[in-house]
Amino acid sequence: MIALDVRGLPPPEPFEQIMLALDTLAKTEVLRVLIHREPYPLYDELRKSGYCHLTTALPDGNYSIEIGRAP
Amino acid sequence: MLSTEQAPPISVPLRFFAIAPLFLVLAAAILTTGSNDATVLLAATHCLTLGFITMVMAGAMQQILPVVIGSPMPASKWIAWLTLLPMSTGTLSLVGGFLYSNPALLYTACWLLGCGFFIFISACLISIYRAAARNPTKLALLLAILALTITATLGIVLASGYASGTALDYPKLAASHISMGLGGWVMLLVAGVSYQVVPMFQLTPNYPQRLSTGFAPALFAVLLLSLVARGYDIASLSAISTGLSWVLTVSFAVITLRLQNQRRRRVADATLSFFRLGMSGLLCAALFSTLALFPPLQEILTTLSVVIFITGFAMPVIFGMLYKIVPFLVWFHLFRGGVKKGVPNMKSIIPEVWMWRHLQLHRFTLLALLTASVWNPVRWLAITGLALQGVLLCYALYTAITVYQRTLKKLETT
Repeated sequence: MIALDVRGLPPPEPFEQIMLALDTLAKTEVLRVLIHREPYPLYDELRKSGYCHLTTALPDGNYSIEIGRAP
Repeated sequence: MLSTEQAPPISVPLRFFAIAPLFLVLAAAILTTGSNDATVLLAATHCLTLGFITMVMAGAMQQILPVVIGSPMPASKWIAWLTLLPMSTGTLSLVGGFLYSNPALLYTACWLLGCGFFIFISACLISIYRAAARNPTKLALLLAILALTITATLGIVLASGYASGTALDYPKLAASHISMGLGGWVMLLVAGVSYQVVPMFQLTPNYPQRLSTGFAPALFAVLLLSLVARGYDIASLSAISTGLSWVLTVSFAVITLRLQNQRRRRVADATLSFFRLGMSGLLCAALFSTLALFPPLQEILTTLSVVIFITGFAMPVIFGMLYKIVPFLVWFHLFRGGVKKGVPNMKSIIPEVWMWRHLQLHRFTLLALLTASVWNPVRWLAITGLALQGVLLCYALYTAITVYQRTLKKLETT
């Protein structure tokens, strides 16, 4: 699993960094993103680009998003 | 929830944003013809409120409705043209009608603005009615549109009455037109957009739920109460409702400033500074309006409160939002669909140094404007500052549009 921490970055940096990381992700790998807000616009792009995601709200107010290739 | 799939073509909001700064230059040009004349002041004020503020807000609305409440405007490209053309020509006609006391121009303005607003308001209401989303922004936008409907109706009654020479209670109608326009349309839309933009772009905590759900309906109710009180000449109720509307707007400004103090990244940001200046301007407008309750300077303090609301609150907030949203839209429309080489960094689309210069220029213009209210010769500095701001904003926005077109062409050929 590849980890990416984009907490506290202003838009569109989290989106940009996540898309760049996904570009280098191997087919079976999973990207785990830590982010301070739920990134709704990202979900549209992930769906269009053939990825699926699992979002977990963390107790500290941040979010963990696991992204992988859609089956 | 934000939905980027519903976003309209970038040309829809940008057309409005690109035309609006020209009205700042026009307002300055009009003021050079004699800034103490009531008709000149009326013409220049409408350049700012209709030509600049409402023009930007109408463009922003066409972006916000689909993205924030997930419901696109029907036939967005057509609606954009059918709003933009009558609004811009109608504003020019209104301004000409005021300047030359020309009834034909005023009647033409009433028709053009009436048609433009009717189309715009109808499209917004259809979009809001169709939206499945339920969030505080949706309610604030709906109430802002209703406030705009009342403002535009009162404005048309006033302008056509002025054109025909009909005996109307002009001071009372004008007071209602101003309070619904500024306190309703402008304030409610700024609040509704802030609920989304402030936490997202300025990395602050969310607005407290009590404020985001209660502010817009409470303010709208108080403004309606004030309208009724004015209509039936109930002075005490009118004073109470006006006071309550300021209590609400001050609460919004204080909470916004407090949230901005709690932001995650404490780095200097010109768009944030514009926003903070706007909130301070709102507090100043409230202070002047409160002082205006006591004689003997009631008239000048009320006028100053309105002037500060427009130039010290609405304008800097709009500048800040434009400098944040326009580069974001350019970046988003180039980047959408995945990683592409050659898409510029968002920060390089409009160089931040221009934003800082604009902020300094705006502070200088505000200071000159306030000084001019007690020492008239300084008005020339305020007029020059206003014109330069129009030119600077135009240049910045056209630069962003050029970056978009150039990059798009490059991406299409590679």
